Amino acid sequence: MNKWFKSGSPWIWLSAGGVSLSLISVIGLLWLIASRGLSYFWPAEVYQFELLDQKGKASTVIGEIYDRESIPSKQLSHLELNLDPKQETVERLLVKTGNRELVSLDFRWILVPEITKQSTPEKLVVIERRTNGNFYGYIEEVILDGKVVSLEQMPVLLERVLEFQEEIEALQKVDIGAINYQLERLRLRERKYKLSGDYTAQKEQDISLKVAQLEAEYQTLEKSLLLLREKVSRDEIKMKAMDGQIVSINFADILKVSTNNQMNLFDKLGMFFSQIASFIVDDPREANTEGGVFPAIFGTVLMVLLMTVIVSPMGVIAAIYLHEYAGNNALTKLLRIAVINLAGVPSIVYGVFGLGFFVYMVGGSLDQIFYPETLPSPTFGTPGVMWSAITLAILTLPVVIVSTEEGLSRIPSAMRHGSLALGATKVETLWRIILPIASPAIMTGIILAIARAAGEVAPLMLVGVVKMAPNLPLDGNFPFLHLDRKFMHLGFHIYDVGFQSPNVEAARPLVYATALLLVTIIVALNMTAVSIRNKLREKYRMLEH
Amino acid sequence: MISVSPKTILDTTTKIDLNNMSAEQKALDIKNLDLYYGDKQALQNITMSIPKGQVTAFIGPSGCGKSTLLRCINRMNDLVDHCRIEGEINLHGENIYNKHVDVAALRRKVGMVFQRPNPFPKSIYENVVYGLRIMGENNRRVLDEAVEVALKSAALWNEVKDRLHDSALGLSGGQQQRLVIARAIAIKPEVLLLDEPTSALDPISTLTIEELINDLKKQFTVVIVTHNMQQAARVSDQTAFMYMGDLIEYSDTNTLFTTPHKKKTEDYITGRYG
Repeated sequence: MNKWFKSGSPWIWLSAGGVSLSLISVIGLLWLIASRGLSYFWPAEVYQFELLDQKGKASTVIGEIYDRESIPSKQLSHLELNLDPKQETVERLLVKTGNRELVSLDFRWILVPEITKQSTPEKLVVIERRTNGNFYGYIEEVILDGKVVSLEQMPVLLERVLEFQEEIEALQKVDIGAINYQLERLRLRERKYKLSGDYTAQKEQDISLKVAQLEAEYQTLEKSLLLLREKVSRDEIKMKAMDGQIVSINFADILKVSTNNQMNLFDKLGMFFSQIASFIVDDPREANTEGGVFPAIFGTVLMVLLMTVIVSPMGVIAAIYLHEYAGNNALTKLLRIAVINLAGVPSIVYGVFGLGFFVYMVGGSLDQIFYPETLPSPTFGTPGVMWSAITLAILTLPVVIVSTEEGLSRIPSAMRHGSLALGATKVETLWRIILPIASPAIMTGIILAIARAAGEVAPLMLVGVVKMAPNLPLDGNFPFLHLDRKFMHLGFHIYDVGFQSPNVEAARPLVYATALLLVTIIVALNMTAVSIRNKLREKYRMLEH
Repeated sequence: MISVSPKTILDTTTKIDLNNMSAEQKALDIKNLDLYYGDKQALQNITMSIPKGQVTAFIGPSGCGKSTLLRCINRMNDLVDHCRIEGEINLHGENIYNKHVDVAALRRKVGMVFQRPNPFPKSIYENVVYGLRIMGENNRRVLDEAVEVALKSAALWNEVKDRLHDSALGLSGGQQQRLVIARAIAIKPEVLLLDEPTSALDPISTLTIEELINDLKKQFTVVIVTHNMQQAARVSDQTAFMYMGDLIEYSDTNTLFTTPHKKKTEDYITGRYG
């Protein structure tokens, strides 16, 4: 036994155990998020339950099974169920019944003992709508412009409506958006002239001419928009809900009509992937509880990239100064300790600092100097994507400084001496020899910075993230990149959907799906950086002396 | 290979009186040089003249200051913290420790090769043209020519001419050291300092480098530090023996190894200490 200890095997076992434990927890986490998140996209069977409650009242419930759980019978004693006294638990199902216009809650619990019949009728359809969530029921009739037509016409009508909807969206967001943007700029220019006191008649005429032009353009666009809206809402569909009520749904509201119970595996797979795709490219609907997360993906990636662009040169320059130029004295040591300790400051503190210093002080001053015409409504004196990127850049600065400095100190002095002995100055040596060799270490720092910044939510809530941003920070209107705009972020989206949403049950799978997406994006960003680093490493591999 | 002009042959064969050299014969003139690392004195009152176009070797036991003296000649000791130097080293009659001297320009005139091969992690080609690029030379044809001349002078051309753009780190240790020499001579220095250039190499590579040194003195003044006395005897024209920071004896190699004047020198070369 003593020999076994001396051989070192126990330590090998211990460390191997540690590694496997870490691996298992990482894989378990990913598996949980992936399975819960991806199940959100899988087209579920739609069930029809016939229920008979203890008072002898029969009812029908149609919907998807969301959850299944056992609860103690005692908890249900007030319902006076006819249960076997020995039975300790009762199973109940959480069913998503949709049809929000008919019932206040689109989820309901049903007790398994009350179910008398359970079936999956092939004619049941799920209608995904723009508002009010899903509708479950049977199609009664399809009405084309007031006349009843056959069911086969439905896909054609749906296709037509979706095309119009796309046109409407483009018209609203791109064309009308651009006109509004230009009008706003003209208004600001007018105000600027007035403030500076040189608002001449000539300028006034110019501006009013342009405004009139834009207004005219707007009128024609609005007309065509109204026309399109009219066309879109021509047809409707009559549906029979689970309680027998007939509900008519306008085609303008319909996104997708699917008959889940008729699908085979391949149909389901196809729908699975198309749902994932629309989750990634669509805008959110219904207070973020439905639709996609594209603005959040865009905001996250844009903010992280901006942060990288800011933090990399700052960190590298600071590290070069500390390592190459600053004297090796007590002050430098103190500075180094301070930098390392900065990494341990809670991130919300950076958020508070960012809000107080960047947003109010710097942003407020910028507004007074450069944007007096928009005051009192702030331009940069309010949270926005630029302040978020800068705040996170400061948050991740220590990581970049520390890894760059480590990289610099790992370079053998023979490299420096070799370059200096050839008549290079210190700066030339830095540019041509030291920085290229240190570049893998710099990339490591950037990778760590990205990993930290992409997952950070707390400070962003103070300096720029919002629940719902009307515009992306990047669009077709000059100057294209609008750094002053607020943005959406996947991390905040998870919090918002999971905890601030009116419909917690509906949001739960969405939370997992968004989390999965966030993890995927961070991994993708990291993998890109890692592959760049590996290429650099290969290029500047030092020969072992 | 290098064309040898009659004058250089004449130079190498003429015996030189080390104590009475004309200014033209001198490559370097070291006068009363003291060097301190903090409080510790590492070199004491070194005075010597190094002749042009010849190989001068510094020998002595470890820690005697021979490498330190060598590094004074191109001011590499400037990089050492708390290093203080008094006295002068004259190159063309000008003290290189004067305040207004451009150190980078000095190092272009006084090249150096270190104990261990230190090629940059770049291609062979880029290693050789590094010094030229620093000087602002970017003309492809000039660089190509310089690479060929330098690599031929360093007896490496035939081995690498087909893979000039491969990484220099793929070369063997001996080849790397010749590459480093090629890199140093590509910028045509006047003096070439070699700091134990073969101590990390195998015997065959050592032999190649020694032959190379013999060729190099036709173009450059070579100063070599070695702890290998046989090597000093083989390659050098003059030898300086140093001990504990003092220059004990400095004369032509033959005299120093056959009839040393000082007791310490004799003890060292006969292997009594060191």
